[in-house]
Amino acid sequence: MLVYLTKSIVGAVVVLLVMSFIVFGLQSIIPADPARAIAGPSAPPEAVEAMREHLGLDDPVLVQYGRFLLRLAHADLGTSVRTRKPVSDDIRQYLPATLELGLASIALGVALAGVMAALQFLIPGSGGIRFAIVGIGSTPIFLAALLLAYFFWFRLDWLPGAGRLAYRDFAGPSGLNVIDGILVGRPEVSLDALLHMTLPALALALPIGVAVGRSLNGALHEVMRQPYIRTARGKGISETKVLLRHGLRNAATAPLSMLRLQIPILFGNLLVVERIFGWPGLGLYTVQALASADLPAVLGVAIVFGMLYILVSTLIEIGQSVADSRINL
Amino acid sequence: MVKLSHRMSEPVTGSVLAVKDLSVILSREGRPSRVLDGISFDMFPGEIIALVGESGSGKTSIGLTLQGLLPREYLPQVAGSIRLAGIELVGAGRRTWQSARRHLVRAISQDPMGALNPTMTIRRQMQESKGGDDRSIGDWLSRTGLPDPERIADALPHRLSAGQRQRVLIAMAMMARPKLLIADEPTTALDVIMQAQILDLLRDLARDQQTAILFVTHDLTVAASLADRVLVLYAGRIVEMGRMQDVARNATHPYSAGLLAARFDLDSDRRRPLPTLPSERTHSINVENACAYATRCPIAQPDCTAIRPPLEPASVHGGAVACLHHEQTAFLATQRADAKPWPAQAIQETAALRLSNIGKTYPTGARSFWGRRQRQPVLRSVNLSIKLGECVALVGASGAGKSTLLRIAAGLVVPEGGTVTRFDKLPPQVVFQDPVASLTPWLTIGEQIGERLRAVSPDSDYGRRRVGEAIKLVGLDPVLMDALPAEMSVGQCQRAVLARAVIVPPRLLLCDEPISAMDVSLAATTLNLLSDLRRRLGMAMLFVTHDLAAARIIADRIAVLKDGELVEIADPDAIIAAPQSSYTRSLVAAMPSLQPGGGR
Repeated sequence: MLVYLTKSIVGAVVVLLVMSFIVFGLQSIIPADPARAIAGPSAPPEAVEAMREHLGLDDPVLVQYGRFLLRLAHADLGTSVRTRKPVSDDIRQYLPATLELGLASIALGVALAGVMAALQFLIPGSGGIRFAIVGIGSTPIFLAALLLAYFFWFRLDWLPGAGRLAYRDFAGPSGLNVIDGILVGRPEVSLDALLHMTLPALALALPIGVAVGRSLNGALHEVMRQPYIRTARGKGISETKVLLRHGLRNAATAPLSMLRLQIPILFGNLLVVERIFGWPGLGLYTVQALASADLPAVLGVAIVFGMLYILVSTLIEIGQSVADSRINL
Repeated sequence: MVKLSHRMSEPVTGSVLAVKDLSVILSREGRPSRVLDGISFDMFPGEIIALVGESGSGKTSIGLTLQGLLPREYLPQVAGSIRLAGIELVGAGRRTWQSARRHLVRAISQDPMGALNPTMTIRRQMQESKGGDDRSIGDWLSRTGLPDPERIADALPHRLSAGQRQRVLIAMAMMARPKLLIADEPTTALDVIMQAQILDLLRDLARDQQTAILFVTHDLTVAASLADRVLVLYAGRIVEMGRMQDVARNATHPYSAGLLAARFDLDSDRRRPLPTLPSERTHSINVENACAYATRCPIAQPDCTAIRPPLEPASVHGGAVACLHHEQTAFLATQRADAKPWPAQAIQETAALRLSNIGKTYPTGARSFWGRRQRQPVLRSVNLSIKLGECVALVGASGAGKSTLLRIAAGLVVPEGGTVTRFDKLPPQVVFQDPVASLTPWLTIGEQIGERLRAVSPDSDYGRRRVGEAIKLVGLDPVLMDALPAEMSVGQCQRAVLARAVIVPPRLLLCDEPISAMDVSLAATTLNLLSDLRRRLGMAMLFVTHDLAAARIIADRIAVLKDGELVEIADPDAIIAAPQSSYTRSLVAAMPSLQPGGGR
């Protein structure tokens, strides 16, 4: 385990270096000019030139990259061109909202996958419901999100479809509103946060649920034909217990790998969904940063997402080895 | 529920199981077929009944039907009556079945490697069998002869050997104190020494707990060493039943007689081809009003295809037989003309294969910090040479290193020490255990055989002729050239694999347990085919097996491998008459025989 964790951390650093280099390299390729962006569109050429000098944009790319890494080591991601604030401060402000939404989507997606498996293996004749789930989950994310917002917010008004919380002034210790509401003893805040989260989380969870659910069903299909399943049934235990105790754990590896593949897709989808539902998180921040060629912000978010991905995927690998102790980490 | 389980634990008087007119129809790919047809029999407490038949005879289906575990996707239709401990199970609801499985009927299966959940400790799987009672787990494990039961209880299945797992499965089934135990080929995957131990264990448990055991097997010899009574099953019907010794001595149905004749042991004549069951003739009859065996039966008369023979008391023994002309069966044995002896095989002095000082280790256990793992030796300086035209059988328990040695000889595994010298540059051909799995499912048989012809298109006239010759050489019907593996039987697949190996005759043929998954008749057929091919084509052969009887029949010399070391190598009959090593002695002693008490 110790060896595995050491290897993971070393691997993570390498991956982050490569990724930051690629994103950094974009800077010298794309036509946007940060100096012009910061100085303003009407600034005289000398001012732009001075700003360029100030930012060190005339140095070779590798020198700039080295400088960037040096600052990164001090958790300094530079200053956002758009908000004029340190990128690390921006990220600190927007990250909790995205974490909350992302975690909720993963949980909801996994639950959805479980529902699909239960329908398939315990409830005969439920093919129609599964078909509907797969159908909705296969819709492009922007369309699914818009449809959800249209029906459940705009038409039916069952759920809120904009923003994160109705209590504008609320600020809790962790920034995760659902947990903070409980921590400070205001359950109505938690409930409101949950309601606000439902539609965007559902939009994000559908593709995860369908992908993981299909992979889980495929794996279970194989596992439920194994001789040990017959042994378990032969003991006279109920079919639900056979599925949960003997089927699920042995079928866990493939859907967990599928879940891991869904994480980067989730990060991409967060940009779209946060934009549609006005969710004040990193996704929305990134959309705005991209629109204004705010490269330090994009770079900072990319590094944070990269770190999150490595963290989640390490957790999933550990989960796989817990499910099947023959997998030696 | 409570009421039912209370009733189920009452002592049973009279028969524990009464099956009447049981019929089962399964639909595979939308085609319904009758797998069991009018089965009736009773079982009494503590009685062991052997259920004998070839693969496809429906013997496994009986076991699954009695547990209510026929695969749901085959849409099983069950008719007739199954009364287990007085409870009618045909048409019973899900809960009754569950309760019956929990308290009345348990099963152990053919594949101990797959029958335990790989991600659950033995202890938890056993707890699930009985519920609660944790203390008895250790007791039960030690009752089945497992050393260090506490350590085994806390282990995961992959840490245990096949024999240990089968013991765990027996303990798991018996701790529920079932009235009926279904043992479906429980020893097929084990070597003879473990087989003998497992059979003893089952016999003792049946007596101690008064559990009736339905012992499903294709091997009449194994059945004879264990069972009180026998049911012979053919095409889903009981064709003969009676006391085990009566049927073994005086088989009355031509099919039972054929099964008995096809069986081979340490005393079978090895100078000539083994007797086999006649294979299925191509034309089919409507079996509804006919004897299902009529198309294969050597004594069939016209009326056999017009009347379905009823199961009637047999005149020769106290049992019953379903054959219109069973008085003819006795003449079968005398009628069977002795086959011509094998021609003498020319063995040259030159070696086709020479293995000197072969050593090999495999990594085992957890990785250390630097990713290294401990290495366990599987082969230690093995010396073996096979002369041109000679067949050497390599015998040993599972884990002795037999397959590794074969793979090294084939060049598929690189040894860590020693040298492999082959007579010619051509790679030797290998025949693996599972013939179906060694054929590519989407290529026709002809294409796969023709692939070995270098520089000749298998589609050219010459290519097709060569493939046709190879197919005829192994006794396959040439029309199967364009068939896919899925359209053929296991026996036909085995022949196709051999045709592929010999289309360009190799100097050396390597066979890895080619008969271990086959029933008796098919195994005898395959041994005959291999014996014939190696003589006709002058091939040297390395034949890996855990079956000493098969080794004796096919080989010129037997080599015994124990824990990676070659402990003995000699002429087959010399080895069996006077085994030198203690391991070989126990191997010979464990061979089952038709006589009661078994063993030699």
